[in-house]
Amino acid sequence: MSKFATGKGFAVTALVAAMSLSGMANAGVTDKDILNDQMTTGDVVSNGLGPRGQRYSPLTAVNTDTVQDLKAVWSFSFGGEKQRGQESQPMVKDGVMYVTGSYSRVFAVDVKTGDELWQYDARLPDGIMPCCDVINRGVALYGDLVIFGTLDAKLVALDKTTGKVKWKKKVGDYKAGYSLTAAPIVVKGKVITGVSGGEFGIVGKVEAYDAKTGKIAWTRPTVEGHMGYIWKDGKKVENGISGGKAGQTWPGDLWKTGGAATWLGGTYDPEVDLLFFGTGNPAPWNSHLRPGDNLFSSSRLAIDPDTGKIAWHFQTTPNDGWDFDGVNELISFDYKDGGKTVKAAATADRNGFMYVLNRENGDFIRGFPFVDEISWAKGLDKKGRPIYVDENRPGNPADSKDGKKGKAIRAVPSFLGGKNWMPMAFSQDTGLFYVPSNEWAMDIWNEPVSYKKGAAYLGAGFTISSLNDDYIGVLRAMDPKTGKEVWRYKNYAPLWGGVLATAGNLVFMGNPEGYLMAFDAKNGEMKYKFNTGSGIVGSPITWEMDGEQYVSVVSGWGGAVPLWGGEVAKRVKHLNQGGSVWTFKLPK
Amino acid sequence: MLRCNLTAFLLVTCLAFAGQVQARYYDDVISSGYISIGLYRNFPPYSFEQNGQAVGVDAEIGKRIAKAMDLEFRPHWITPDENLEDDLRNNVWKGHYLDKDDSQPLAMKKLADVMMRVPYDREFAFRQESTGEMVNEHVVMFGPYQRESWRIAFDSRKIEEVSTVAVFQYHPIGVEIDSLPAFYMVSAFGGRMRDNAHHFTNVDEAFRHMQKGKVDAVMGMRAEIDWQLFQAKDPSFHIGENGFPMMGKQKWDLGMAIKSTYRQLGYAVEEVVDRMIRTGEMEKIYQQYGLTYELPGLYQDVK
Repeated sequence: MSKFATGKGFAVTALVAAMSLSGMANAGVTDKDILNDQMTTGDVVSNGLGPRGQRYSPLTAVNTDTVQDLKAVWSFSFGGEKQRGQESQPMVKDGVMYVTGSYSRVFAVDVKTGDELWQYDARLPDGIMPCCDVINRGVALYGDLVIFGTLDAKLVALDKTTGKVKWKKKVGDYKAGYSLTAAPIVVKGKVITGVSGGEFGIVGKVEAYDAKTGKIAWTRPTVEGHMGYIWKDGKKVENGISGGKAGQTWPGDLWKTGGAATWLGGTYDPEVDLLFFGTGNPAPWNSHLRPGDNLFSSSRLAIDPDTGKIAWHFQTTPNDGWDFDGVNELISFDYKDGGKTVKAAATADRNGFMYVLNRENGDFIRGFPFVDEISWAKGLDKKGRPIYVDENRPGNPADSKDGKKGKAIRAVPSFLGGKNWMPMAFSQDTGLFYVPSNEWAMDIWNEPVSYKKGAAYLGAGFTISSLNDDYIGVLRAMDPKTGKEVWRYKNYAPLWGGVLATAGNLVFMGNPEGYLMAFDAKNGEMKYKFNTGSGIVGSPITWEMDGEQYVSVVSGWGGAVPLWGGEVAKRVKHLNQGGSVWTFKLPK
Repeated sequence: MLRCNLTAFLLVTCLAFAGQVQARYYDDVISSGYISIGLYRNFPPYSFEQNGQAVGVDAEIGKRIAKAMDLEFRPHWITPDENLEDDLRNNVWKGHYLDKDDSQPLAMKKLADVMMRVPYDREFAFRQESTGEMVNEHVVMFGPYQRESWRIAFDSRKIEEVSTVAVFQYHPIGVEIDSLPAFYMVSAFGGRMRDNAHHFTNVDEAFRHMQKGKVDAVMGMRAEIDWQLFQAKDPSFHIGENGFPMMGKQKWDLGMAIKSTYRQLGYAVEEVVDRMIRTGEMEKIYQQYGLTYELPGLYQDVK
């Protein structure tokens, strides 16, 4: 009955499932395993349950009728003092769970018992100052390797059995402000990664490495004007300047330090054979310093996985002045329009708009708000470009001649976004996207009384406030064909964790209050909740073992929300940090 | 503060430890025999390493504070964060969240007893959050010892003179990325100097590019520019005579910071530094590095 068929029928599913249960117990993860991950319910070998990142599972044993019986079977602690912000999605393969903890740690856990098999702690350099907190969003699996990124911007491949390092590659210089927090992905034998970076003048990039050896294959800068490279027979060869040439959408030499960090990683669609990576805000933060669109900041880029060439781009916030960023995941899906199948992809941006694009060429199909209020734009034009409300752009610090505090601008959503990093899910049964969103505003002003490294500075002051007394977080079921909200669940604290949809007509999500919750996918009725003891900011998974369906989620409050003061902090101050994985199943 | 997730019994121990995070009370400092002085890492001419030794004006002042108190001088190197509030939190009152030791979970965080080069600005020190809370309530900023301002150095082979910044509509100038000079050169006068602003990681790198003829001038803090000129000893490089119209902050004072609960230590340090300023020892330190020394406002007012 699925209107959103992906072209893979049940026969294939059953066959692959059968194969995974027979002689494959000790085989390593293959490209095929990753491509079929969504339908092979015996394992979870990719971030997003399949390269498209739909976070949809065809499992049905846990469903709206049975979910209330879901019971915890084990909980595994990450231990130690390091309990800050657990944003990881676990992976499961051949009876072993691979999960990351904050501070660049990886754990291998026996899924039957919850016993630890090994732990890897990345040795971080002294005096390291990572831009983007100490979180980590998970590993990639390939062959017998467990691959993840560290806070000092290295890719590390570990032996899946021993946890020992097989190869290690520097992706960026942590001293220059680079870091890695996203889960890498593996496409056609290559590990593909982005980079995180602060305001220190970094340039975003997407890079591919040979998954087996760690040898670099290509690098693609995400700021117009920078040369890309590809390695042919071990030789570094020029591979075209991103955007053709420098200086088209940037003034002066600002493109050299333009930002556009690819800090959330990406997705891949095998049908159109393209990688989809989002890019962060442009640097410097003050948009008046860089008139122009500032490509390819705050954009989605479609990149050829073989060559690293940019196939198309779509910019959500040109000349971003609100730190809206544009890293949000682009999820491929098909839908029927009349008799025609549309190869689409959807993304819910920090800026408050959700976009449906043609994933073959990046054409804008439609866009609509997924939050209740947007102050910075009146809407989107025919090409999906925002129609700005000029008076709601944060002011130019150069205008504060008298050294006094500038006029405060109210911007909705706040820079933490209508939706931040937390991934949404797409159900192939309902055809809806389940979008974890937040309703908050910020007041932002120029702060002339500001210092940096012993020098006078012009900072931006801001305070984040909630729009409603009784909730900030809203889990929304959005129809990508109409832009209509089908149902919503309101949460007191801001939502910061990922979503999972299943064929059991369920939507799973955790909240900062600590609950793992399950909702009826059709009407949003809460069917289940369980308190995991600390806030959930990770993404749940589900898989099958010995004929039973399991659900796992990482618990451990942290991430960006508690870092900011003001009114919102009061709502989350009392939440305790933690670090554990919980695993659930139905009683026999 | 240390994060304590322990049993009730251990909690008592934990609190006892948490009470003495590495920045310490006056008595602890004296009895330990050393004082840790917070210095920005790799930040000439204020603080940097040379042959494994801490040097620069801030390091020199720190050494004299230690000597006057009959203590060993220990530098606490600070990797700068995005702004001063972050640096104060990471190095003076709370400690950095990465400063954890799993083998010694109760170990104290590494903090500076005294942090140098903290602006002495009453408006900044008493700034309030939107909620009315004091932004910097955990630290005391005291003991101003120098007044800082902006300066331009230029290559006289390329530019005849710099009497106003208007010449930078026509001549390339190097600035440190994400600094006030960068903002100024890119945005002042409707952005007319924008295309000539070249961004570098720091003033040192900008100056190297002037030496290579890639830019015609460099703008930075006065002491940074003085230091570069003093090092380069190149008669072609001159100091601009210009002012910086529309620049919000033209001059500001630098002092020190301690954790607000350790005022007694602050008084002892202040006494030493005050004496250095009044006897002219401070000025000598600056001269030794080839820097202009300007008294902080507090001393200019009483003179």
